[in-house]
Amino acid sequence: MPASANRSQPMTSGAGIFFDGRSSARHDCLVALAAAGLQIVAHDGTLLAEWPYNEIEGLTAPDNVLRLGRRGNALLERLEIRDPAFAAAVDARADRVDRTGLMQRRHRAGVIGWAIIATLSLVAVGYFGVPAIAERLAPLVPMAIERKLGDAVDSQVRGMLDARRLGAGFECGAADSERPGRIALDRMVHRLEAAAALPVRLRTLVVRRDEANAIALPGGQIFVFRGLIAKAENADQVAGVIAHEIGHVAHRDGTKSVLQAGGLSLLFGMLLGDFVGGGAVVLAAHAVLQSSYSRDVESAADRYGAELMNKAGGNARALAVILGKIGGATEPGMKILLDHPETDARVAAINRLASPQPWSPFLDAAGWAALKKICAG
Amino acid sequence: MTSLEAATAAGNGVRFVGDPRVYWRLLVRGGLLLAATLGIYRFWLTTDVRRFLWANTEVAGESLEYTGKPLELLLGFLVAIAILIPVYTGFFMAALDLGPLGKISGVIAFGALGVLGQYAVYRARRYRLTRTIYRGVRFHQSGSAWRYAFCAVFWWSLTALSCGLAYPLQLASLERYKMRNTYYGDLAGSFAGSGFGLLLRGFPMWFLVVAPLAVAAGAMIDIVDWQALARALEQGGRDVMGRIERGNPELAGAIVFAMLMVSLSAVAAALLYPAFQALVLRWWSSGLRFGEIEMCSNLSTRQIYGAYVRFLWYAILFGIGLAVIGVPVLLAVGAVAGDDHGGTGPEIAATGLMLAGYVIAALGFSTIYRATVMLSLWRLGMESLQMSGLSALDRVKASGGPSSPLGEGLADALNVGGY
Repeated sequence: MPASANRSQPMTSGAGIFFDGRSSARHDCLVALAAAGLQIVAHDGTLLAEWPYNEIEGLTAPDNVLRLGRRGNALLERLEIRDPAFAAAVDARADRVDRTGLMQRRHRAGVIGWAIIATLSLVAVGYFGVPAIAERLAPLVPMAIERKLGDAVDSQVRGMLDARRLGAGFECGAADSERPGRIALDRMVHRLEAAAALPVRLRTLVVRRDEANAIALPGGQIFVFRGLIAKAENADQVAGVIAHEIGHVAHRDGTKSVLQAGGLSLLFGMLLGDFVGGGAVVLAAHAVLQSSYSRDVESAADRYGAELMNKAGGNARALAVILGKIGGATEPGMKILLDHPETDARVAAINRLASPQPWSPFLDAAGWAALKKICAG
Repeated sequence: MTSLEAATAAGNGVRFVGDPRVYWRLLVRGGLLLAATLGIYRFWLTTDVRRFLWANTEVAGESLEYTGKPLELLLGFLVAIAILIPVYTGFFMAALDLGPLGKISGVIAFGALGVLGQYAVYRARRYRLTRTIYRGVRFHQSGSAWRYAFCAVFWWSLTALSCGLAYPLQLASLERYKMRNTYYGDLAGSFAGSGFGLLLRGFPMWFLVVAPLAVAAGAMIDIVDWQALARALEQGGRDVMGRIERGNPELAGAIVFAMLMVSLSAVAAALLYPAFQALVLRWWSSGLRFGEIEMCSNLSTRQIYGAYVRFLWYAILFGIGLAVIGVPVLLAVGAVAGDDHGGTGPEIAATGLMLAGYVIAALGFSTIYRATVMLSLWRLGMESLQMSGLSALDRVKASGGPSSPLGEGLADALNVGGY
């Protein structure tokens, strides 16, 4: 391989330093390149070791040193050659000695290629596999566990939402002046619940948050924010949103999202990403993947909500109307990280599902007035 | 033997011969591959880095050899995953339980993972030592990793409770345990550094950092009328802030003073950190013993500051470069995304770009840190060593075998890794 070795007489012997692996003593030695292998000879002529060429391997060393060992040798025998010309002669004979690092580079290219393919395939599993698995696993989770999960999530969610530390006062409908509103809400929820025929009992609460939103927890708990009631034009719009949230309960979306979050953090948090900045990448990948799941989940809950409104004899279009009102307010450029997919498409899909049959309002004027005061106390 | 004598006669047994440009290339390439593989490449990068550092460190004319393999690290990591997944699952289930067990499960998890992390630190040290060969003889480590883990957690708690004052004693105690169980062949190591000595030398620095904090805390306690504050908070409602202000007319001043003191402490900590690092490194390497071989370090604090100045210089250059390239790209993407209200394509692109920018920045700064500060610490720490009794090196008998890479894997999975 090296040109210098071929140009003149190839070197067949040279100086070396030998460590016998039994002690740290250093032996200056002569190295002879025999036909079958490399002979290590002490200055007094005793043969210290003889290594066949195909068993010699190169080991890590500074640039000016060729360090050799014997493959599969339990004894850590080491031979060091410092003369570059002689090192080249050894390299030419021993196939495994990789002085230029060419073999190492080829091997490393394979590692890099497969590592990138593995990464792509893990991302694909995160994108397609995890939601599919969660979809199939969620119905298998017993109701008792789901309710437990719901209780654990409940205290956490309250901790996050109850910014002003109102405690029990965070829920509306407890004070005397709020009682009629509570009754109106219960009437609405019962009508929906009867139509939905769920395996769990719903617990619907109005809470003191000013955003126009509502959330469903695992185990059948639904929080309606008072901001939603303030923004709604009539009781049917509120009922539409509750029907949408019942869709989440019926589809067990809370449990699914817990399973998904667990699967994703396992996949990206543990297997990958233990490097600087990795944590943020994992979080961001998480958020993007979650929001892409949530598009489908929200559309499915819309469908369920619209059909439930039909079944309960209500006006499914009311859900579309309030969705158009609250969905239009999102900031441009942030849609990807929000839970709600393209509002226009959702509104159109709900309107397509709305039954042409005549409908009856959920609350009369007095009931709606009471509901609007559910947080008045 | 002549070259050994020459090296000893030169007065300095240790030399670092690595080319920093090679190290830069290795780290930059590794950083790019880490990003492309979301971190899978770390096993290979870690091994490359160690091979480079070990191979280019010459002690008495012979370089160290690192024989660890990337696949061993990968295997250790897989084993660690197999152990940790059930542990994490158990904690998750416990956290769902609303009873007393669920309430304290977070604390238990923190403690258990702390012990496991220190266990991993000790086992990982064993892996690195047994993969270190010098003159055909292996280093190795005995001792119980569990014992070390419990001692370490005990000392860390003590250090935390004493506001860092117990840290020198912790270092000395843990280092004594580690070195007592460290062997080069049959040559037993030991540690001669005194924790009390380090405490005395480090005390002025500790004082400069902690004193402003203590003054701030004292001022807050002294000035604020705590009963009035508690009453104001209890009443709640819209006017909480107003009532707090009325009850404590000097509160605003006290808060400003406390913030000033905290910033003073932070500035002192940042400025003193290199000096502290130099002090600890000098103290630590001067305490290392192998049989009759004694080490003594004359590491200069100025050089450590030099390493940090180089880091800052490269980091500023990198930051400017990133801004010059990144800001126009972000503006362009922002304009495209702003124009197109319908699709989510531009938004995905924008999110992707932000992510890529973040990863490039984080990996870039960490690469610069490793290539400047970490390399300098290694090089200066090694080159400042004066060794005596090197003639013992001619009589060391080989012993010990390679150990499992589990500790490295656990340390990796728990984020407590070292070099």
